[in-house]
Amino acid sequence: MASTVIGAGITVEGEITTDEDVVVSGTVRGKLSAKEAVTIEHGATVEADVTGGSLVVAGSLTGNVVANERVDLQQGARVIGNVKAARVTIADGAQFKGNVDMDV
Amino acid sequence: MANNASVIGRTTKVRGRVTGAVDLHVEGFVDGEIAVSGDVTVDAHGLVGASVQGRRLVVRGAVKGDLLGEEAVVLEDGARVVGDVRAPRVAIASGALVRGYVETGEGNGAPSRASRGEAARSAPQVRAAPPPPKAAAKPAAAVHVAGGGGSSNNSGGRAAARRPPPPVVPALKKAKGQIAKKKER
Repeated sequence: MASTVIGAGITVEGEITTDEDVVVSGTVRGKLSAKEAVTIEHGATVEADVTGGSLVVAGSLTGNVVANERVDLQQGARVIGNVKAARVTIADGAQFKGNVDMDV
Repeated sequence: MANNASVIGRTTKVRGRVTGAVDLHVEGFVDGEIAVSGDVTVDAHGLVGASVQGRRLVVRGAVKGDLLGEEAVVLEDGARVVGDVRAPRVAIASGALVRGYVETGEGNGAPSRASRGEAARSAPQVRAAPPPPKAAAKPAAAVHVAGGGGSSNNSGGRAAARRPPPPVVPALKKAKGQIAKKKER
């Protein structure tokens, strides 16, 4: 259960830091730092560097990603940026441009 | 509906601007302007460090900044607000703390600082009537009539504008000073 939800139609310009789960369905520009799971849903736009425990992307993400555990790019995801995590999966149908670093 | 609900959770800090067209629930900390066209709820744990704009604002937490509601502003028990409150309807429940200028009624969609000052000068807020345009047009004339009030507005600046308008009891010394200055000019 996510405690922080950036709903569709909401735009956050700036920095988000949190200790809890985050679900983004809207737009985030700036920086997003979470300790738990971050979900970028289909239709969401994130133009930010993202750090989190784990990251699931189904929407559009431009920025560098660092996750403690894993990063999953799902079908329909569009990611431009470098990804650093112990485990990275890219589903068939996900667009991705950037470096992958699984050397954690 | 659940898909549209946006929540800033308890341990979440947002530094920056939050805009959008849906409802927003703040349980965490937002240090930046909030401007949405839906409803905004600032939870008991919520903290907002800048102005909040929305259709209907419900505050149970702390806001340091102006509240501007298109329909209503409801300050519930536990609310702490430092800033101006404007909406067609404003409700302040027992237990809510407010420091700032409060204005109810229609026609204050996008108030400027200047209009706020005029309103404070011209009429007690209980009447909630828009300030007569004369007050804005002829501040110099008002100085002659209301002497002390005019000068305190000049010197007191923002502090005077934030308080409810003072009763028109001219401070004689200041009034004399004011007139003397006029003559010197």
